[in-house]
Amino acid sequence: MAELFTKYFPNVVYQGWNGDGGWLPAIGQTLYMTFWSAIFGGILGLIFGIGLVLTDSDGILPNRGLFSFFDKVVSFFRAIPFIILLAFIAPVTQKIVGTQIGTTAALVPLSLGVFPFYARQVQVALASVDHGIIEAAQSLGATFSDIIFDVYLREARSELVRVTTVTLISLIGLTAMAGAIGAGGLGNMAIAYGYNRFANDTTFIATLLVLIFVLLVQLIGDLLARVLNHKNS
Amino acid sequence: MAEKIIELDNISVTFKQKDKTIEAVKNVSLNINKGDIYGIVGYSGAGKSTLVRVINLLQQPSSGRAKINGDLFYEKIDGNEKVIPLKKLREKRRKIGMIFQHFNLLNEQTVVQNVAFALKHSSLKEKEIKAKALDLLKLVGLEERADAYPSQLSGGQQQRVAIARALANDPEILISDEGTSALDPKNTVQILDLLKRLNKELGLTVVLITHEMEAVKRIADRVAVMENGEVIETGGLLDIFTNAKHHLTREFVGTESGSAKALATLQAANLVELDDDQECIQLTYIGAAVSESLIVKLYKDFDIVANIIYGNIEILQGTPVGALFVIIKGSAENRERATAFLKKQDIIINKVEEGELVNG
Repeated sequence: MAELFTKYFPNVVYQGWNGDGGWLPAIGQTLYMTFWSAIFGGILGLIFGIGLVLTDSDGILPNRGLFSFFDKVVSFFRAIPFIILLAFIAPVTQKIVGTQIGTTAALVPLSLGVFPFYARQVQVALASVDHGIIEAAQSLGATFSDIIFDVYLREARSELVRVTTVTLISLIGLTAMAGAIGAGGLGNMAIAYGYNRFANDTTFIATLLVLIFVLLVQLIGDLLARVLNHKNS
Repeated sequence: MAEKIIELDNISVTFKQKDKTIEAVKNVSLNINKGDIYGIVGYSGAGKSTLVRVINLLQQPSSGRAKINGDLFYEKIDGNEKVIPLKKLREKRRKIGMIFQHFNLLNEQTVVQNVAFALKHSSLKEKEIKAKALDLLKLVGLEERADAYPSQLSGGQQQRVAIARALANDPEILISDEGTSALDPKNTVQILDLLKRLNKELGLTVVLITHEMEAVKRIADRVAVMENGEVIETGGLLDIFTNAKHHLTREFVGTESGSAKALATLQAANLVELDDDQECIQLTYIGAAVSESLIVKLYKDFDIVANIIYGNIEILQGTPVGALFVIIKGSAENRERATAFLKKQDIIINKVEEGELVNG
């Protein structure tokens, strides 16, 4: 078995488990980038998504100025192609992380790249909460925080899990590009060690690993979304 | 004089859209007494829902004055606007329960959690909140479904949960915004009877918005009829049913009492084409039924031949209300004397002309 693998995937074996260009660091970098930028981008996206829904003209805190601010910022960052954002945001990255290259440096553009996408998804998810339920809560004397946490976020939780899944998968795609600023990861493995060196087997295995990762996220997301949904049980 | 709990004076609500303003409520004044079940009827779009949302300020009016249970919620007179502070409004809203056509329960929380949600800001401890929520569920007959999710309940049961939730903070007013309109007839009756029971047992003032006269007929004490943002008629239930002034009110009442059916029958049978000495009238009487002897009396004393073509009896607020359609035949003078006699007997007379009821 091991011999067969070595025969058909020589470059994969050549990369080795550990060390520079090894598989374990590559997998680790992808997980690291996905996890932390999901946290930072997720929080930012959630804030903007909630902000958009609350300040909209039919929201519970209508505010044209604030809505316009959230809307413009989200639209602006969404409009920039990620590969360009990586370079464009470099000075900011330098300020925050202290360096423009490497896995940690990639977290800044990754978070900024994923948050507008997530913000829009959150906005749609929260807007799906029936306005009548908000009104009922208001009629019971609910405060703004009650309405945000007990009504919006809780009522839309299954939908939020679904859009988070979609966003995570999209984020995994973005991490593959982060190789361009030396962040490593499976995407970089596929391009730098696979494609650029005509090592198709390396590209194949790197792709396969990304695919497994995506499928896992999808599987867990779907399961969770189903468990959390009591709307039509 | 009963104590007023809801005082709306000259309330107007206008919505501004791009280039037009919509007047949803126009200069409405409405007083509702404590302990009453007050029905507000009208077709959809008449402004009923907008008007009642002024009561708990879910809808801020454009002008007028709203005083609820002695607290000034809103006042705008001569451009001077006074609105109750939001924090105080929230506290006051807890004393005004509201139920909705589509129940509006929290789908991701269990029945008992839905009720407990209303008590989040009460002074009760978590344990006491749960106990009170269960008590309220018992009140509406749903204690054994406490841990179910709303989607597992029928429409009628969901509305019961909504009622329990609305009552959580011991409100003095309960607003039902088409609360029975999405329910089947059996559940409708059950919910209405529950509201009536709560009204009696807790002294709850109920504001019942509906387009179904049946609901009003069953439990309301007083009725307001709305059309195009205006209240066109108000009165006691019996009054509205027996002696409506406005044609729309009669239309509403008519769809419920048998008179619409009777008129249709009359028209179909060409019975309304009468001879010169004939007249078709509707007699409405409250209380004891009019006996055959009245017809005999008309014949003996006034030389009037009365032919009963339709009769119907209904029970409103526990009082029988009868409606008779009769064709009377006799000289004009005798007919006049006869109707005068009938009016003296507290019988309400409406003439039927060309298949339409007109005020007699």
